[in-house]
Amino acid sequence: MSALDILIILLRVAFGAFVPLSFVAVLVWMERRGAAFFQDRAGPNRCNVYGIRAGGLIQNLADGIKLIFKEDIVPGHIQHKLYFILAPMLVFITALLCFAVIPFADVLVLGDREYVMQAVPMDVGILWFLAVVGFGVYGIILAGWSSHNKYGVLGGLRAAAQVISYEIPMGLSLVSLLAVYGTVDLSAIAQYQGQLLFGFIPAWGFVLQPLGVIIFIVAAFAETNRTPFDLAEGESEIVAGYHVEYSSMKFALFFMGEYVAMFVSSALIVTLYFGSYQIPWLSTETLVAHARPVVILLMIGLPVIAYFFAGWIKKNNRTHYYRADDPRSRETAIYVSLLWSLVVVLEVILLIYLIFAAGGAADRILVLLLQIGSFLIKTFLMCFVYVWVRWTLPRFRYDQLQKIGWEKMLPLALLNIFITGAIIVSFS
Amino acid sequence: MSIKVRVVERKGRTFLEQLYLVEVVKGMTVTLGHFFRNLLDNSRLYVRHYPEVKPEISPRWRGRHRLTRHEDGSVKCVACFMCQTNCPSNCIMIEAGERFDGRSEKMPVKFDIDLLECIYCGYCVEACPMDAIRMDTGIFSVTSNSRESLLIGLEQLMETPGGFSEVDYHKGGG
Repeated sequence: MSALDILIILLRVAFGAFVPLSFVAVLVWMERRGAAFFQDRAGPNRCNVYGIRAGGLIQNLADGIKLIFKEDIVPGHIQHKLYFILAPMLVFITALLCFAVIPFADVLVLGDREYVMQAVPMDVGILWFLAVVGFGVYGIILAGWSSHNKYGVLGGLRAAAQVISYEIPMGLSLVSLLAVYGTVDLSAIAQYQGQLLFGFIPAWGFVLQPLGVIIFIVAAFAETNRTPFDLAEGESEIVAGYHVEYSSMKFALFFMGEYVAMFVSSALIVTLYFGSYQIPWLSTETLVAHARPVVILLMIGLPVIAYFFAGWIKKNNRTHYYRADDPRSRETAIYVSLLWSLVVVLEVILLIYLIFAAGGAADRILVLLLQIGSFLIKTFLMCFVYVWVRWTLPRFRYDQLQKIGWEKMLPLALLNIFITGAIIVSFS
Repeated sequence: MSIKVRVVERKGRTFLEQLYLVEVVKGMTVTLGHFFRNLLDNSRLYVRHYPEVKPEISPRWRGRHRLTRHEDGSVKCVACFMCQTNCPSNCIMIEAGERFDGRSEKMPVKFDIDLLECIYCGYCVEACPMDAIRMDTGIFSVTSNSRESLLIGLEQLMETPGGFSEVDYHKGGG
């Protein structure tokens, strides 16, 4: 094993472990700001370090510090302390493990070696996801049961019943999808979506499976216990459900686990239905072959995007009432100069690439970075859909939830399998 | 005797509405409109930046209490105990003493209001025959770090000026 192999393994594992974790901060921020803007409020805008508020991201820091320094209580009535402590870990770890099999860029070819861009290069793909994500609900059930609290048990029960009823339509919608792709390996699925349908439509999953994508997204929402299917928490009915007895970092683990699960299921939806890391109409080979024009386009596009972004910052980052010597205008100046220096650094790097390194391995790495960017942007947008739905739709009643799962989604998923099967058989 | 029967049309039972998805998409378009409106220009938020920008308070608003005074600065209160008797939460505690300035026979030597007990109903103001207690200070945020400091006495009640002009107060606000 060469040094390069070890380096790439380290980078892959680091990506698989730290990107979901850093996305927790981004998602909590997005949830707060999104909620506020959907409801015509301002969101977190006071918390700052020396006047720098980073658009509200500093609030997460304050939250983290608060949760760490809170008293970590294990209530005296709890008989199974091991299970009580194990439950939040289980929720968090299973959520994080799911991301291990999701490819975030195309296979990297360096010389004669090929590197699969997954944290754990396995070809079981989607089966691993189904196995691990189903295990995550054990954490919730365990938490509800070991809390020895009736609200906790009710929350755990609801979560269990909900996951059972929604895993079936989810699995069935996957069956028809896998029949289309003909593989369970997520890397192969992602590569399949780089093709063009009829020569001009990207062959993304949602084009091939229009019914399946709806069923899968709805089931994925239920799977992550997000609104409108967050009956396991149901504040208005059962206080906080399964995490009612938890405090401090144990609660934080549940909280982070929820957001990691949201990130991972968005990543999976993107991988299966929205073209994974693929940039539409530009397959990996096209990008590698035309690396120089792509770089020149990037060098032109970056300042334009930065110009509009800086204009948006200047317009919105100011105080809306009279304030002597407005600190926010100072803050805006710092943001704008940071933005432009970032653009300058990127331009210099791209210029150096154009002059010295174009062609060969550098092209491959450039395409890798572009695809990672495309994957993260798509996942970010999918996470936004999660936030968007949460602040639009009210929670379902429990019987409605079961009714939709069993009476609507299950027959639809079965119908989808028949239609897909008929089309595949008639065209092959 | 005829009963008027009005048949209310049931909504939400058509096929498209039963499908949920169409309605979900409609709702999501509305919220997305709000999101982008606020994202592109956050001066359009329906928000008052509270600690810096104070809300406008009408003279009718029942804020923290005060005791009014005569022109010479002596207290108007004659310790008749009307407010204390009327108070539904028993938050007023008056101790009466003799008055020597010729205005009346009695005056309060102690007039305590427990702001933690007070429910700001304004019955004391209505009961007062001398217009001695008013809730027109415009103080709406009664907060403190200790319980003791929220038991306010005669001096504090007399010190606080009214938040509005006499004319506005009697008009009861625009």
